[in-house]
Amino acid sequence: MTLTANRPSATKDAPAKAVKRTNPVRFVILAALLALLLIVIAPLLIITINAVKSPADYASGGPLSLPPHLYWDGIVDFWNRVSFGEKLWNSFITSFTVAVLGVLLSVLNAYALGIGKVKGRLWFLVFFLVANLLPQEVLVYPLYFLSKEVGLYDSLISIVIIFTVIQAAFGTYLLTSVYQEFPTELLDAADVDGAGKLRTLWNVVVPVSRPTLGVLFTFFFIWTWNEFFLPLVFLVSNENQTVPVALGVLQGDRLMDVTMTSSSGLIGILPALLFFLIFQRTLTRGITAGAIK
Amino acid sequence: MILFRAGLSAGALLLATSLGLAACGGGSDDSSSTEGADAKTLTLWHYEGPNSAMGIAWNKAIEEFKTAHPGVEVKFEEKGFEQIQQNAQMILNSDSAPDIMEYNKGNATAGLLSKQGLLTDLTEESGKRGWDKALNSSLQTTTKYDDDGIMGSGKTYGVPNYAEYVEVYYNKDLFKKYNLQVPTTLDEFTKVMDTFVQNKVTPLAVGGAEYPAQQILYTLALSKADRAWVDDYQLYKNKVDFKGPQLTYGAQTFKEWVDKGYIAKNSAGIKAEDMGVSFSQGKFPIMISGSWWYGRFVNEIKNFEWGTFLFPGNKLHPGSSGNLWVVPEKSKAKALAYDFIDITMKPEIQALLGNNGGVPVAADTASITDPKNKELIENFNKVSGEDGLAFYPDWPAPGYYDVLVAGVQGLINGSKTPDAVLSEIQKPYDENLADLGK
Repeated sequence: MTLTANRPSATKDAPAKAVKRTNPVRFVILAALLALLLIVIAPLLIITINAVKSPADYASGGPLSLPPHLYWDGIVDFWNRVSFGEKLWNSFITSFTVAVLGVLLSVLNAYALGIGKVKGRLWFLVFFLVANLLPQEVLVYPLYFLSKEVGLYDSLISIVIIFTVIQAAFGTYLLTSVYQEFPTELLDAADVDGAGKLRTLWNVVVPVSRPTLGVLFTFFFIWTWNEFFLPLVFLVSNENQTVPVALGVLQGDRLMDVTMTSSSGLIGILPALLFFLIFQRTLTRGITAGAIK
Repeated sequence: MILFRAGLSAGALLLATSLGLAACGGGSDDSSSTEGADAKTLTLWHYEGPNSAMGIAWNKAIEEFKTAHPGVEVKFEEKGFEQIQQNAQMILNSDSAPDIMEYNKGNATAGLLSKQGLLTDLTEESGKRGWDKALNSSLQTTTKYDDDGIMGSGKTYGVPNYAEYVEVYYNKDLFKKYNLQVPTTLDEFTKVMDTFVQNKVTPLAVGGAEYPAQQILYTLALSKADRAWVDDYQLYKNKVDFKGPQLTYGAQTFKEWVDKGYIAKNSAGIKAEDMGVSFSQGKFPIMISGSWWYGRFVNEIKNFEWGTFLFPGNKLHPGSSGNLWVVPEKSKAKALAYDFIDITMKPEIQALLGNNGGVPVAADTASITDPKNKELIENFNKVSGEDGLAFYPDWPAPGYYDVLVAGVQGLINGSKTPDAVLSEIQKPYDENLADLGK
């Protein structure tokens, strides 16, 4: 009895699996995903191809031709021309400091606004939102004037201060809405255990929201790394410049050096890409981890 | 990207106005030529690549300067064009200003800064050291700015070391293949292009999305123009009739060239860079563009022989002095800066510039040894000797570049008649005149 009952079910299963595997829709989706992937990485691919191509090969073959031999001079020349190591360090130190300070400032602000429920917090939030929407071009002249007055024009410190504030404005806005949903049970428990406001912040709120803070940190770092306009204005001396500003050196009045620009683009984007890959797990964890556990 | 650009220019505009206010009342009257002669450093900025003609010549000039001034440290910084373009006003108004720098010629750049009192008046120094004699009158046009910052007259605020002009590049191999000679008149030039069209080759590489197409139209207009017309158009001496014979001929002939297939319809969307690359790939036999391509083609075109000639029949050609050496008003080593400029005008530095694919302003052709570069400089000397530099079509009004690009694109894709295009480009020109009170 059991034998005969089992057999038909077994034979039913096998064709079902085969159908699943050969379903044409799955191939279409796969092909579409592959095409999408190609579109996404195409610019990177073209930059890489041209970065290792000699100018003469570019002139005779155009941007899409494969280089007949690898040509590293573009990258090496560019590195030496702008002393790229120095620029990397400048970029790293500013981005890192901004990311740390920005997250710190955001946490403190959001703790007050989201959990502390400060009076008029809605208006604070609106203010931060507006500050976020303000284009940097509008800020340039006042910032220029102020930094000149306090002697910080042409100094990395000015960039750190400006971007800490800009990033923290966004961070405060985002983190406040996260903290508004913060489980009150945890806060009450901390209160019952006799923890003060600061202790609650460091021992309860920060550990629980660590994934979100990780995301903020990563984004602040990458955003600051990629900033071009304000560093271009504020970092006048070559020794103070960051990576994106240094890449601008190659842009001429009427001519562009495509192969060297590609080389510079490639080594300019690598650090940010590496950073992203390293912290990618933090990102996904931060997104999947909701505010309420 | 377009939005980003628009944002940038809006910011720049904002800055320009606010800085204009801030800089009013600035400017010292102490302009003796020994000021800053005892300075121990000379901070020098320019934005030319180290392998370009200017980069090579100026490196040599820095070395010579060091030998002549043993106690002085030269702090050279290579800048990006964009950085100087965006920030010059802010930088020159601060203590981070360099002692000498390269800057763009023109009303919107050097003119504006001179008006705001951010640049040192070089008139006296230029007379004393003979820089004015080394430059002919059309080269000098871009060094002088009046009180409103308009070029052509007034005080001297900059000194150019090199020049640039528009000429015709041609692929010698393709000319040989169809048994063609270098044309000497516009008629012959047309016949050459006809031959290519008959053989299913589009003769002209054109970048319609950027400056090249409007320079062709301007070149055609110049074939019917004289110096007085150029002065009217560029320096606002008299009112320009856009429906007059010069521009009408330019626009109509340009349209004809498109209709006859000399210019490909799809070139409306081509950028200057892609135009240059398509010529260097040998896809087009002829390219009409500036001498700034020369050095690059010398280094990069390996697959065919190429040469240049001046636009046949024209006495006037688009072109001008190159960028200027300017001395910021806040320079702490003005006398040293003057010495440096003087070195860059020396014959050996000028010859070095010429031998590396640049167009020196004051070179002796005899000292140019490279045959390829000799051709470039001989052509320039011919233009210069006839006082034939007619500047660029987009100079007369701010933002005029985009107006011209749009107008000429209309001609290429056939969406506008020459007459409509001329009316379209006249409007912003006249509005600018009204703004200037002329």
